[in-house]
Amino acid sequence: MASSVFPSEKLGLNDPSPSLSQPHKTSYLSAISPLTGLFGRFSEWRNSLDLPNPGTVENLQKEVKLTHLTNFMFDGARADLTKGLSVNPAFQISHSFTLGSQVATPSYNFGAVYATSNLLLQGSVDHEGNVNARMNQGWSETCITKMQAQLSHQAGHSMLQLEQDYQGRDYSLNAKAVNPSPTDLTGIYIGSYFQSVTKNLALGFETLHQRQTPEMTELATSYLAKYTSTDRNWIATAQLQPSGILQTTYWQKLSEKVDVAADLQVIAAPQRRDAIATLGAKYDLRMATFRAQLDSTGKVSALLEQRFAPSFAFLVSGEIDHFKNAAKVGVGVMIESSTLTPEEMGMPPQI
Amino acid sequence: MPSDETKERIVKVVELGRTLVHYGWIPMIIYIGYTRSTPQPMFIKLISPLA
Repeated sequence: MASSVFPSEKLGLNDPSPSLSQPHKTSYLSAISPLTGLFGRFSEWRNSLDLPNPGTVENLQKEVKLTHLTNFMFDGARADLTKGLSVNPAFQISHSFTLGSQVATPSYNFGAVYATSNLLLQGSVDHEGNVNARMNQGWSETCITKMQAQLSHQAGHSMLQLEQDYQGRDYSLNAKAVNPSPTDLTGIYIGSYFQSVTKNLALGFETLHQRQTPEMTELATSYLAKYTSTDRNWIATAQLQPSGILQTTYWQKLSEKVDVAADLQVIAAPQRRDAIATLGAKYDLRMATFRAQLDSTGKVSALLEQRFAPSFAFLVSGEIDHFKNAAKVGVGVMIESSTLTPEEMGMPPQI
Repeated sequence: MPSDETKERIVKVVELGRTLVHYGWIPMIIYIGYTRSTPQPMFIKLISPLA
């Protein structure tokens, strides 16, 4: 299979500008042909294994995070008004209000999203003038550049993150730079590599290089593993950080509508030994989503997202901390409106 | 290694860029979205939560 593709592959790999160095190409190639032959056979063998892409390191625990309600929990009251102004390209404006939370002050947030098939622009600003900016540019199916920034009037609260993501046939590569300074190259640099080893198992590592000052640098590598079942119905992951934190997760799709997830975090650092286990379930019903969660710190929480109409959803959340004897309750509404008629949104006309 | 003068200039340019993005990011998205939307929405609907 690969023999027909092989010569062109050789040229592209070893010679960055084949058209310029045409005359001495043959001698140059013949000198290293054992190497390219070896590489060719290696990539042929690698293709023949037909391993799937393992997904990105960032999305290692995505299924668990979507099932657990840690990221969805809120208290007090909130209202989200989203307005779709265009479908293709997608353009949306949102206003969100939060009030009466025990941990956060009342706030107002204005957001705007513009998205085409390969460009995403997102921005939000709160009432204090802090801006969140995000931009994703896809160069091809497998190659994405991401930019993320937090801009604040307070000194030292601003953050910039640049990211380059590449997804190969059976591996994922990612490089990140957080607050890179062009003058003395301080900042945090993160690189990760994730490789499928068998059809089910993927192994990888993530290296964090921290340069607070040019003299003070720190290097830390964490190791990752992910096991996906053959029918993709359950996923187990593990992540070991050098500071002594081990995080293992398990996610299973019990049926079309029910997902369950478990998460165990073990901290075995010299100054602190601790473990937290979290169990959660998510029910996806026709007009509602219900999440329930129980963890070993004594917290029981639940969140119901009920859709009364396609454009109107009502949220109720609650959490009881049995060990601290504390409780949190939250209610929210989500209203989506559109300036477009159903025909303009591409829906079939209702008769 | 760049000289101190160049460093100072780079820091100034970065600071200016930061300020520009801080004030210009949301207006830029709204402008791009407003001009490229099909059909073009009314401007009041962009800004007001009630309209």
